[in-house]
Amino acid sequence: MATAKPLISVVDDDESMREAVRGLMKSLGYTAEAFASAEEFLSSRQVPRTSCLIADVQMPGMTGLELHRHLVASGKTIPTILITAYPDDSMRARALEDGVVGYLSKPFDESDLLACINSSLPADAP
Amino acid sequence: MLCRTAAALSTGCAGLALLTWILVASDFSHPATGALLYLIVIVLLSITGNIAAGLGLAIIATFCLDYFFTEPRFSFQINATEDVIAVAAFALTAVAIAVLAGRARRSGETRALKDRLQLIIDTIPAMVWSISPNGSSDFLNKRFRDYTGLSLDDIRDWARADALHRPWMNALHPDDRSMDDWSAALAPGEPFEKEARLRQFDGEYRRFLLRFVPLRDEWGRIVEWYAKSTDIEDLRRAEEELRRRDARLRDAQMALAHANRVTTTGQLAASIAHEVSQPIAAALTNANAARRWLGAAPPDLEEVGQALDRIIRDGIRASDVIGRIRALVRKVPPRHDQLDINEVTREVIALTRGELRSSGASLQTKLADGLPLIPGDRIQLQQVMLNLILNALEAMNGSSQTARELLIGTEQDGSGSVLVAVKDSGPGLKPESRDRLFEAFYTTKPNGMGMGLSICRSIIEAHGGRVWVTADQPHGATFRFTLPQQQEAAC
Repeated sequence: MATAKPLISVVDDDESMREAVRGLMKSLGYTAEAFASAEEFLSSRQVPRTSCLIADVQMPGMTGLELHRHLVASGKTIPTILITAYPDDSMRARALEDGVVGYLSKPFDESDLLACINSSLPADAP
Repeated sequence: MLCRTAAALSTGCAGLALLTWILVASDFSHPATGALLYLIVIVLLSITGNIAAGLGLAIIATFCLDYFFTEPRFSFQINATEDVIAVAAFALTAVAIAVLAGRARRSGETRALKDRLQLIIDTIPAMVWSISPNGSSDFLNKRFRDYTGLSLDDIRDWARADALHRPWMNALHPDDRSMDDWSAALAPGEPFEKEARLRQFDGEYRRFLLRFVPLRDEWGRIVEWYAKSTDIEDLRRAEEELRRRDARLRDAQMALAHANRVTTTGQLAASIAHEVSQPIAAALTNANAARRWLGAAPPDLEEVGQALDRIIRDGIRASDVIGRIRALVRKVPPRHDQLDINEVTREVIALTRGELRSSGASLQTKLADGLPLIPGDRIQLQQVMLNLILNALEAMNGSSQTARELLIGTEQDGSGSVLVAVKDSGPGLKPESRDRLFEAFYTTKPNGMGMGLSICRSIIEAHGGRVWVTADQPHGATFRFTLPQQQEAAC
């Protein structure tokens, strides 16, 4: 019943961080996939299956926010949570304006992340 | 010699002829007076000329006495027996006088020569003495005596009291008197040099370079050693002062390099925060996951273990970053390790990753495999790379070029040295600044001190390498430095 579990995709160029977030998602009962860059995620087959996207803001190449905008522009809207090691109020404002569900700074509180995920997933999720 | 004898003889003959002419012309025929006057001429010639000329003149004078003054006159014939005796006595006297006067003159000359040599030996700016093979000194020049305040008698007394030792050694500093050292130096019987301190009359010790040369007899046995000493105290003091200044300069350079490292590390604050906060955030996230797996029914211990492994890895990563930062700002003397330049480079890149991100530059690395290890100081070389990378990022930040690309490469050059290149896509360099970039206090930045690149150059040169910059087309600049495998200059 793999399809019953929502897929959460994690995009972060920092290996420790992306493995940690993927591990946390698994412990919360989600299926999680990790990608080292926005480009790697976009070229994967997981885009249409992804229920929620957790992406780092600062990445070489396409940034997390650019990835979100790209998905919106191509009509594949996925609820997106941005995480950043460089919290910046103006960036946060722009991101929320662009419709991201959450903007969290590292290290983030587990409950904050959970709240963001829950708000982006349908009510029947685990 | 023959020439001088002939010249002296002709002068004597001329004197003799003049005297004879005066006496004959004035009809003065008293033989004893003639003989006496002739003897005077012979004495004069022997004193001023040489013995051979004196002897020659004595013989000629004998014939003259016989011819001009002995009856019958103007003939070599002698009739009276007493005249024969008189002429013979004159000949004997003349010869004896010539020999004695010559000897007197020669001994005078020898004494003069001896005095002159003594004067030279006493005046030359060095202490000179001789040592017999048993170690006693029978000659010390005046400089030696003046310097040490010792008299010849003192030396002789020492020799008597201490015949088996080397009495002149009493003038040496006690630490320079080791009999074993001196015996070892004298044993081969070859000329040798030794540095030693000699005691001055007022008790002060000065350093001297002592040179010893043996004099051998026809059978090759050493008859005597001749020693000469040159005062090198001032030279040694100047060398020591130079060394002290060098050390002070090195200390100052170290302090400057350290200040630059602290400043440069300060510029990395954002990177450091990122590099430390990233693994900490990951560790916290992993801890949350582990707690969830533990709280599950049943607890998934395998997942807990995996999360804990990741926490350990994250912890190590964070502490590595802190360790590298601490190494950069610590003030330690330069080290000489065998370094893998690629590893050194990767560590610096890890520290600047945050800077690269925030400046929006992309980094490409081209690190050649199989590079030789190079001797050097890891921290200093990282400091050089850090300066070059931060300069490159700064150059690109101020540039209107849209693509910000940093390339860091390592390779081996033709001479076997390792070459490191840091290439940026900034606006490049003006030719006039390119030549002066490595000068101290030269800067093209509004807030720059102008020390970074000059410190980089001293570090690379201390590693025996070279650092230079080239302007790239159409824009950008590449800084390169080499590090030889064998180091000539001391770091």
